[in-house]
Amino acid sequence: MADLVLNISVPEFFENRRTLEILQRGGMGEVLVWLLFFLLSIALLVMIVIQLVCLADLELDYINPYDSTKKINKFVMPEFITQGVLCFLFLATGHWIMSLLCVPYLYYNVRLYLKGQHLVDVTEIFNLLNWEKKQRLFKLGYILLLLFMSLVWLIFNALEEDEHSF
Amino acid sequence: MGTENLNRPNYPLRPAATPFAAQQGTTPFGSSGPVVGSEASAFRPAPPASSQFQRPPLSSGPFVGSEPTSFRPPPSIRPNDLVRPPPPSLSSSYGPPASGFPSSPAPPPPSIGQVPPPRTSLTGQPVAPPLTRPPPGQVPLTQPQPPSVPMGSPPQSLKMGQPNPNIPLRPDQQFPPARPNAQPSAPLPGPPYPTARGTYQPAFPGYPNAQPSSVAQAPPMQPASFPLQQGGFAPAAPPAPFLGRQRGPVSGILPSGLYPGNQVQQHGITPPIAPSQALAEDFSSLSLGSVPGSFETGLDVAALPRPLDGDVDPKPLAEMYPMNCSSRVLRLTTSGIPNSQSLASRWHLPVGAVVCPLAEFPFGEEVPVINFATTGIIRCRRCRTYVNPYITFTDSGRKWKCNICSLLNDVPGDYFAHVDASGRRADLDQRPELTKGSVEFIAPAEYMVRPPMPPLYFFLIDVSISAVRSGMLEIVAQTIKSCLDSLPGAPRTQIGFITYDSTIHFYNMKSSLMQPQMMVVSDLDDIFVPLPDDLLVNLSESRGVVDAFLDSLPSMFQDNMNVESAFGPALKAAFMVMSQLGGKLLIFQNSLPSLGVGRLRLRGDDIRAYGTDKEHTLRVPEDPFYKQMAADFTKYQIAVNVYAFSDKYTDIASLGTLAKYTGGQVYYYPSFQSSVHSDKLRHELSRDLTRETAWEAVMRIRCGKGVRFTSYHGNFMLRSTDLLALPAVDCDKAYAAQLSLEETLLTTQTVYFQVALLYTSSSGERRIRVHTAAAPVVADLGEMYRLADTGAIISLFSRLAIEKTLSSKLEDSRNAVQLRIVKALREYRNLYAVQHRLSGRLIYPESLKFLPLYGLALCKSAALRGGYSDVQLDDRCAAGYTMMALPVKSLLKFLYPNLVRVDEFLVQGEEFDITRRIPLTAESLDTRGLYILDDGFRFVIWFGRSILPDIARNLLGEDFTGDFSKVKLSLRDNEMSRKLMTILDQFRATDPAYYQLCHLVRQGEQPREGFFLLTHLVEDQIGGANGYADWMLLLFRQVQQNA
Repeated sequence: MADLVLNISVPEFFENRRTLEILQRGGMGEVLVWLLFFLLSIALLVMIVIQLVCLADLELDYINPYDSTKKINKFVMPEFITQGVLCFLFLATGHWIMSLLCVPYLYYNVRLYLKGQHLVDVTEIFNLLNWEKKQRLFKLGYILLLLFMSLVWLIFNALEEDEHSF
Repeated sequence: MGTENLNRPNYPLRPAATPFAAQQGTTPFGSSGPVVGSEASAFRPAPPASSQFQRPPLSSGPFVGSEPTSFRPPPSIRPNDLVRPPPPSLSSSYGPPASGFPSSPAPPPPSIGQVPPPRTSLTGQPVAPPLTRPPPGQVPLTQPQPPSVPMGSPPQSLKMGQPNPNIPLRPDQQFPPARPNAQPSAPLPGPPYPTARGTYQPAFPGYPNAQPSSVAQAPPMQPASFPLQQGGFAPAAPPAPFLGRQRGPVSGILPSGLYPGNQVQQHGITPPIAPSQALAEDFSSLSLGSVPGSFETGLDVAALPRPLDGDVDPKPLAEMYPMNCSSRVLRLTTSGIPNSQSLASRWHLPVGAVVCPLAEFPFGEEVPVINFATTGIIRCRRCRTYVNPYITFTDSGRKWKCNICSLLNDVPGDYFAHVDASGRRADLDQRPELTKGSVEFIAPAEYMVRPPMPPLYFFLIDVSISAVRSGMLEIVAQTIKSCLDSLPGAPRTQIGFITYDSTIHFYNMKSSLMQPQMMVVSDLDDIFVPLPDDLLVNLSESRGVVDAFLDSLPSMFQDNMNVESAFGPALKAAFMVMSQLGGKLLIFQNSLPSLGVGRLRLRGDDIRAYGTDKEHTLRVPEDPFYKQMAADFTKYQIAVNVYAFSDKYTDIASLGTLAKYTGGQVYYYPSFQSSVHSDKLRHELSRDLTRETAWEAVMRIRCGKGVRFTSYHGNFMLRSTDLLALPAVDCDKAYAAQLSLEETLLTTQTVYFQVALLYTSSSGERRIRVHTAAAPVVADLGEMYRLADTGAIISLFSRLAIEKTLSSKLEDSRNAVQLRIVKALREYRNLYAVQHRLSGRLIYPESLKFLPLYGLALCKSAALRGGYSDVQLDDRCAAGYTMMALPVKSLLKFLYPNLVRVDEFLVQGEEFDITRRIPLTAESLDTRGLYILDDGFRFVIWFGRSILPDIARNLLGEDFTGDFSKVKLSLRDNEMSRKLMTILDQFRATDPAYYQLCHLVRQGEQPREGFFLLTHLVEDQIGGANGYADWMLLLFRQVQQNA
């Protein structure tokens, strides 16, 4: 589902000049942009939650470490990319503050990736379980914050749009 | 040591009770009612262990209180106190208990009526035994006997094999009324220590009161000598079981009060005790001079404790719980499990266990094998604990109560046996699972996910030029061939080979062939197995082909000039061949993997990396391929043993990963030369092939409610949070685990541990080896220290430290070890610093007297020592992997090797005493001497500079003046040489897991001497590391800081 959002909506936005114009003009475009941000955040949220569920299952012994890590690792790169795209889109649409808010998360991800520690290690997973969980819980909180702010802006813009149309 | 002996009796020594009670039934204690009660109460659902509750039982005690009392006073009263009457204040304090008794808040149950009589009689009794101890002999012993009868003790109390579930009620009834006794007598609530002391006091005064004056004066008769005698006595003497059982109901705080060793506590009673005496009894101390901080003063190097007797098995626990499994199998870092999280957090050493599930048992003590063919294996329904000596039968034998989760289970009809009044099963002697701590069950089909696999050995052999040149190939082929007859599991054993250089060679060994067929695969990117079957063959069917192959193997590649190594692809190929069955994969690798997937680069041991954050990356696998392969291997039950031979960098860090996560081990022979190392390789390879191996095993350690094993350390992979996957296990592997408390307060008095290893034996049977152990829960930090086991602690420490080197600097890792030792000693000091003036003294518990030295040795071991230039990177990693798997004894020997002087023996021919070790310092080396240093992995034979030329000539022939690196020690035709060889064989026999190769070193021959010998002299200052004395001073100073 995450991939879906990513693959379809992002390129369309870049190629569609009209969209960009709308973006710059504000108004209806603004609402759409915020809707997009909102959906991206939801996608991120879902990916993180899936990873967390896998970790919890592993802890409770419902799943073996091999399957669990495989499943988690499948979602790691999409998560990183989605987050990067989100950050970039914030920047591209001129939402500086939101973009800045995303930067620490992005930086952390990039660092993990460069150190080669972004994937879960099946041999050590039980020793790192707590850390992996904590890390994802923090991310979850972070994304919830983004989500909340996107929602607020979305509603705010929608209301403004309403006002303009009258 | 007195303290140690005295420890024992203090725990619910349930099983131990049996023999004692039976033999000494005539003694007052054996038959006294409370004994039974306490005995059984160990199994009663634990009473709330709040301090209020614990206190009452303390002095409830006519039994508890007065009994220890009779022991304690003598030591505390010095000879000149002889005539002195007991201090009035003390005797008066007896009043409260007496009067407090009837006025107890809890209305005494009817049965209480019985209590007072025994009470008086009992108070009388205990007095007697101590008196009798030395001279008076039997008189008092018989005296108490009559009282024991009036006490109305139930007859079953005499045999205590299995506790009677009906009895636990009794102590409950008896104790609450006694409670008021405790209240007045415990003026110092708070830390367990003072409390214990407080409760103790009234008991003491009670004692003279109860007895006529003649008795009151009696104790002083044998004053100072008493504690010593008692120490010697405790195990066998009747009081011992009594004390031990008392502990059961009394729980918690009492022990420290009961503790006969706690002379300190008596200061409150009889002040004029010599502090030094108490010190000697209570803990060990080391005088560091009157001026702490000045280097020269005071510290007597010769007086520092040294483990010259090697590792001593932890005795106290085994004597408290004789039905525990042997200490070879399970060693706890401290046998006193802390009863609360706050107590655990004050214990700065690890709480955990080191388990060696397949430890070898000496002849005659083999683990009994039990087949529950008809009933199925008896396990607890809820927690899946296996039947063990600590379960109790109730409901006249129809139900049994799990000792770990206290669930009542039905006894299957076929397993039913009548239970006598004491809870003892009628068929106990035919049921080893109910009397032995270690047993082996034959597992039925439910325990199999597939038919039991045959033993399978697969060899992956490097045949590149360096392998051939060094002679490795030839030795390996010869050794495998010589072991074929003794491989376990014939006739089911399977075997297979792959060789590789820049290509991969498979061998078809179908039994119908005369000669093996070789197939070469050179496509490294897309590995395929050219033949689905017949690469892995049944040894007995294809024996001829295998023999032919091994005979021709060295000559086949004699002229191989290939320098490449397609290790990764070969590994994948081996995996594909083996994945159907699993088994053991032996890898012989001679150079750095250079082709295909998993190739490694010379990442080089860069001096610039040391001391930076990048340092640890050198010690972790470079390519995730290896971890992934290791995980896959474990999944398919394949264990990997890595034999590495190169003289250049081979990246053991990466290769060793394969062994680490598959339960294997790493053998490293740097610069292998067949002329030098062949014996070592032969011995170790044949041991690897022929030792009894458990296949496709999983291991789990269960433990009682409230505690949980949280982390595991060793060579294995975790299959779930507490299940260790071990594709192959043998007697040379140990695993460590750390415990944590899940509940803030433990309410039980005993924690049980059960190690269960489910495996397939070489004979094709599925079996479960079960080891059960019990350990007391203690409420007192001092007791945890007393019951500590240095060996297990060091074993855990070394594993933690090595794991830490994989994520941080060596320096940090060493500091962490040091810090924990300091914290532990500081906490211990705080325990006693109040009572004693301890300035200038480093104090430590007797049980941990070697901890600082082993800690120092650990920091100086190859895995942690120095920095870049001190140890080759590969050596360091290999040592790390090896230490992660070593059992406790071998590890301690590795850390603090044996050093013995042999020249006198060679010349004079007296009986050689293998245990005559000397301290590991250059000062103990005499230039005229000949010394052997044995660390379990190699012998270093050191020739003093002015050694008698005779000796050197006799041992080495005419080579003795030459370069020792080229001289090989061999048996020569003279008495001296034969004697030396006998000694070496004697040493080797003590540790067959590895072969100790002799390295000859001449005094002053650098760098050889430095490399082989001086680095092992752990007490000396080496490089930047401290010497033993400096280390102690350093620890002392750090202990003092913020104390």
